[in-house]
Amino acid sequence: MVRRCTPVLLALGALLALLLGASPATADGTGGSGGDRPVLRVGTEGTYEPFSFEDADGDLTGYDVDVMRAVADEAGYDVEFVQGAFDSLFPALDADRIDVIANQITINPEREARYLFTQPYTYSRGVIVTRTDTDDITSLADVAGVRAAQSETSNWAQVARDAGADVQSVDGLPQALELLAQGRVDVVINDNIAVLSYLSTRDDAPVEIAGDVDDEVSEQALVLRQDEQEVRDRLDQAQQRLAADGTLAGISEDYFGADVSVENTGEGVDPEGTARTRWEVVRDTAGPMALGALRVTLPLTVISFAAGLALALLAALARMSSSRWLRWPARTYISIIRGTPLLVQLFIVYYGLPELGLRLPGFTAACVALSLNVGGYAAEVIRSSILSVPRGQFEAATTLGMGYRQTMRRIVLPQASRIAVPPLSNTLLSLIKDTSLASVVLVTELFREAQTVAQNTGEFLVLYTLAAAYYWIICLVVSAGQGRLEKRLARYST
Amino acid sequence: MSDLIEVRGLRKAFGGTEVLRDVGFTSAAGTTTVVLGPSGSGKTTVLRSLNVLETPDAGSVRIADAEVDFDVPAHGRAGRARRAREVKALRARSGMVFQSHHLFPHKTVLGNLVEGPVQVQGRPVEEAEADARGLLEQVGLAGRETAYPAQLSGGQQQRVGIARALALHPEVVLLDEPTSALDPELVGEVLGVIRDLAAEGRTMVIVTHEVRFARDVADQVLFLDGGVVAERGGAEVLTDPREPRTQQFLSRVLEKG
Repeated sequence: MVRRCTPVLLALGALLALLLGASPATADGTGGSGGDRPVLRVGTEGTYEPFSFEDADGDLTGYDVDVMRAVADEAGYDVEFVQGAFDSLFPALDADRIDVIANQITINPEREARYLFTQPYTYSRGVIVTRTDTDDITSLADVAGVRAAQSETSNWAQVARDAGADVQSVDGLPQALELLAQGRVDVVINDNIAVLSYLSTRDDAPVEIAGDVDDEVSEQALVLRQDEQEVRDRLDQAQQRLAADGTLAGISEDYFGADVSVENTGEGVDPEGTARTRWEVVRDTAGPMALGALRVTLPLTVISFAAGLALALLAALARMSSSRWLRWPARTYISIIRGTPLLVQLFIVYYGLPELGLRLPGFTAACVALSLNVGGYAAEVIRSSILSVPRGQFEAATTLGMGYRQTMRRIVLPQASRIAVPPLSNTLLSLIKDTSLASVVLVTELFREAQTVAQNTGEFLVLYTLAAAYYWIICLVVSAGQGRLEKRLARYST
Repeated sequence: MSDLIEVRGLRKAFGGTEVLRDVGFTSAAGTTTVVLGPSGSGKTTVLRSLNVLETPDAGSVRIADAEVDFDVPAHGRAGRARRAREVKALRARSGMVFQSHHLFPHKTVLGNLVEGPVQVQGRPVEEAEADARGLLEQVGLAGRETAYPAQLSGGQQQRVGIARALALHPEVVLLDEPTSALDPELVGEVLGVIRDLAAEGRTMVIVTHEVRFARDVADQVLFLDGGVVAERGGAEVLTDPREPRTQQFLSRVLEKG
């Protein structure tokens, strides 16, 4: 049945090319002189206070961020920060999506074998954190058999596991401490600076430092890929100059009231912290979340739905074709999309394809994965809608002398579209909510905004509820639109 | 008078069942041919072969200068393309009225009428619309241009169906049981329109069960039975059939009516 679909394919190709060219707002352009200095893409969590976090105005700041800015500037680079969950930083480095990680990465033998480190700019020691009402855990030996909450790829997870703890994976230190406060885990292991800093902003949290991990002092440094020897050396030299002239010590004093960039760190650290009230947090966050919705969630939805529908129409027509060479690939495509989790599809596109040389920016990768997903689901909706148009309509068009394409475009699809509106609206509603998955591929959309602030402030309930409310409002608008569209399309039915 | 329609040796089987076994006939220009027969006799298949809604297994169909010979194989890319061109040319010679009208529900009455002329024949919209208004007047539906099919009665819908077929200015109008799906009280208005067309000298082929109506309009009657033309003649076939099968059928139909 399908004979020529080239124009539609071309249009799809053009759309894709457009996406590859322009990917909105996933990265923060910062950097001083604005000249044409080379740009370093720096991966950091943005949720790891006081090392890497967003201040009340939503600007990225923190000890690691400031050190990175200073070192890069001294070395003659501009920086561009890319925020992502801790567990996505190393994959992003591997996939050449970022050049450096500035996120309190501890030097250890496994990492030294795979990556390049600069000189350490933080020296810290590990501490064991428990609830205040827990008295029987004071050293690493007591951790055996209890539940710990840790970021999976962080070295503290390994420390906890080696000590015999049952490790639950979490997204970052704030979440880990929240779980601890809620009694869902018994212990959290992390470095003293991060923990003290967190406690200073949440002095109501019923948790405390119960003991040191050991006598060892861990060292944190910037991380680069092994093929970046030259860049590493430039950064290293710049860092040494800044250590010598006291710049690093100054940055450290600002954040910790002590110099953690030299080895005898630790006691007497008095981190600054400005605790905001819950209302202030919500007030400060509602705006950025709405912006995230407008600038990322909505474009992502609109582009993915449009491209997905075009794809779905092609797949539906191919699926009904008399040629097995069209039918078979369409069936396979639909079956794979409907038979695999969207999250896995997204990971394949974002983290997998770079291995084949196709490196898409986060926003584009999310568009591609969501479009393919919508295409697979909507194809079956469109197919069944076309099949529900009476055969007589095809025959009547044929006797008027219309060909396949004319019949489809003028007679069949207008009638099928009316049947397809309610189920396709469901697909659209699902898509709106599924865009939140883009947060895992470093896209700062509505949910990621909420997540970032929630991690930093511990206001999980109100911020996630606010995010839910935003999604709900968008879906309400779409549902209202569906009602109007159905009414319009039904005007000829009685 | 030369023959406008010429059908030879049509055969068609669905699965293992032979529906048409060597059907042939001719129709002169300006005449009305009525096709009658018991259900399953193949009369609708004959009609649908005339515009290749069914593709015959063998035989040939000619309307005016357009002919498709199904005995010539249409293999390969070139063969299929040639056959597609022939079929398109043949279809352009006829308009069809369906048993259940098959109007386009998403288009107005006027939209249904101008769809073929504008989209297929490429005629200017204003001209096609003027033409369509004339046709609507002719079938007694002037003023209903902006109505949607669902807003019309069954008889009105079928009259729009007739006007839609006429809008293409076809040389032949094919009507497939045009009143069978209608409530009895609506049959008259549709038959009236068809009667006018016959009087106008349109060339028509009609499959119908309305024997009394057929007597009025038929110039030629084809009685089909078991996939062959059992009897062929003028309107007298309906009053004075020679074949026992025809007699039997007519008496049964007339008893019921």
